[in-house]
Amino acid sequence: MPRIYVHPLPVRIWHWINALGFVAMIVTGFQIRYIGLIDLLSFRTAVVLHNWIGFVLIGNFFIWFLFYLFSDKIKVYHPELSPLKHFRASFRQLRYYGYGIFKGDPNPHHLSVYHKFNSMQSMAYQVMMLFLVPLQFYTGVLLWDVNRFSGMIDVLGGVRAVDTAHVLIFIFFVGFIFIHPYLASLGHTRTAHFKAMITGYEEVEDESGHTSPPA
Amino acid sequence: MTVTRRRCAATRTTFYAGLAIAARLALVVVVLAVTSLTARAAGSALSKQDQECLGCHSTEGLEKKLANGETLSLSVQGPAFAKSVHSKIGCAVCHRNITLENHPPLKTKIASIRENSIELTKVCSSCHGEIFKLYEGSIHATLVRDGNPGAPICTDCHSPHAVMPKAAYDAATGAPCSKCHDPIFKAYAGSVHGKAALGCSNCHRAHDVSAATTGDRLKNACLECHQDALAAHQTWLPNAAQHFETVSCPACHAPAAKRKVDLRLYDSVTKQRVAEKEGVPQFESRVRSADAKGAGLDAMALHSLLREFNREGIDNETTLRGRLEVSTGVEAHQLMDKSQAIRDCAKCHQQGADAFQSVTVSIVGPDGRPVRYGAQPEVLNSMISVDSVGGFYAVGGTRIKLLDWLLALAVLGGIGVPLGHLTVSWLVRKYAKKIGGQEDS
Repeated sequence: MPRIYVHPLPVRIWHWINALGFVAMIVTGFQIRYIGLIDLLSFRTAVVLHNWIGFVLIGNFFIWFLFYLFSDKIKVYHPELSPLKHFRASFRQLRYYGYGIFKGDPNPHHLSVYHKFNSMQSMAYQVMMLFLVPLQFYTGVLLWDVNRFSGMIDVLGGVRAVDTAHVLIFIFFVGFIFIHPYLASLGHTRTAHFKAMITGYEEVEDESGHTSPPA
Repeated sequence: MTVTRRRCAATRTTFYAGLAIAARLALVVVVLAVTSLTARAAGSALSKQDQECLGCHSTEGLEKKLANGETLSLSVQGPAFAKSVHSKIGCAVCHRNITLENHPPLKTKIASIRENSIELTKVCSSCHGEIFKLYEGSIHATLVRDGNPGAPICTDCHSPHAVMPKAAYDAATGAPCSKCHDPIFKAYAGSVHGKAALGCSNCHRAHDVSAATTGDRLKNACLECHQDALAAHQTWLPNAAQHFETVSCPACHAPAAKRKVDLRLYDSVTKQRVAEKEGVPQFESRVRSADAKGAGLDAMALHSLLREFNREGIDNETTLRGRLEVSTGVEAHQLMDKSQAIRDCAKCHQQGADAFQSVTVSIVGPDGRPVRYGAQPEVLNSMISVDSVGGFYAVGGTRIKLLDWLLALAVLGGIGVPLGHLTVSWLVRKYAKKIGGQEDS
């Protein structure tokens, strides 16, 4: 089966650090918010871990950001400028996951080096990586030292408002952390996309054939 | 015979009358002698003029009936006065209105003992101007101006004729503060500071005593001695500086105390707590109209209260800033050794924590003391409070319940959607040409 190189090394490093980091952030986040209900770690240990891992993730974010900023691979994120085309493609993808996949229809997305995301992914990942993740880092840093950033926190409506934003994004990522691996298991084999994120190579059925995109 | 008998009887009567007068004179002489001796014994340190004053005024029971029926004691304990720091200046410096011509000052009508004492504080201020100025800015002086009959004036703390040097104040008895604040002093006496025999004025100051729960004075007093406290807390306490800002020291260092949250009206423009305007008390009427049921302010009522305060003008922006403190002044003085302080974060950072079961909303009253009104604990967990109680949040402890439901939905959806998708795939597998390609499992 032919293979194409779609996940360069910096992206893979970023992805797996990010994956482990987000799982750890979610576990410690649950522990911080629900002490008494969940007792895996002490509150203090959970907070300290949450803070440290958060800073690692912020640093890790820049691996992703700088790689795409200074390489031609940024094209994978190039948006479809025609909204009609974009929504039509997104709808096609949605219909595939919700209906076509059960019938064994081919994935409507054609994988290539500069086109590794389907329309839904391209849009969702841009919103996540350029808005939600930075916003989560930003609110997290503010909450890390509330006193130091009190001026900024007051402008944003107080510590409760900042925390509410942080928790809302946390809730989104909790849902994402379940859905993302499941979608990744919908390749031509259950583990195809997982292997690709380790080796960098995605297998395609044949030169003219279709294969499903990574999640 | 009869005439002779009558003469004898008259002579006897005259004799007894004379005897009675002589006895009275003797008594006066004895009293004067005793008081004079006492006055002399009172102090060779006293001037001759002062000894002359004490000649009469050291008499026990010397007093004056006042217009309101009270009895003003005019008696001075000579020995105590002789030992006092004022013995050097003598009677006439303070009682300058009394001269030989007008003594006793019959023309001066004294309405009450209290009024007399207040009037005499002017005399104190004439020498102790700087200290008196400090006192005038104190909560004690404010209460006096407000007509509080129990509020202390100079002579309530400094016994008028036995004023002792500062060093003579006894930290062990708490005098003179314990005279009014006895329950607090008893609690303090058992505390780590009380056992170290530190006096009240070390934290509260002697004359410019401020309301304990307004301003940063007391926190700063703690940090004046415990200068490395923040650094020491930062070694183990996340967000230590914020804890210092939002949590009062006794909230952790008086482990047996009952804790509560005080949501303070705060003006974000002037960066100060909102104070009730002199003569225009609005807080009480506004909270009462917001809390129509009288069950304590709920989240909506709190929201509308804030709206009322922000309606006054565009120059102010009233918000709420919360502070975790202990319930009573007595508890605030039960500070224990740091080994007994609360270090368990879960004590506050979990839902249902005791600390968040009692909530008040407060404004600074005209006298500098906070005026409080009860709020329902749910204001700390309501989504509406994101706006109104934006300035107070303890992660875990005051979390918003609606977000808990959203999180539960995200978990259920996150697990349910893949499971549902897998289930549908499994159910329709016979009819599908191919499901997910060639499965490798």
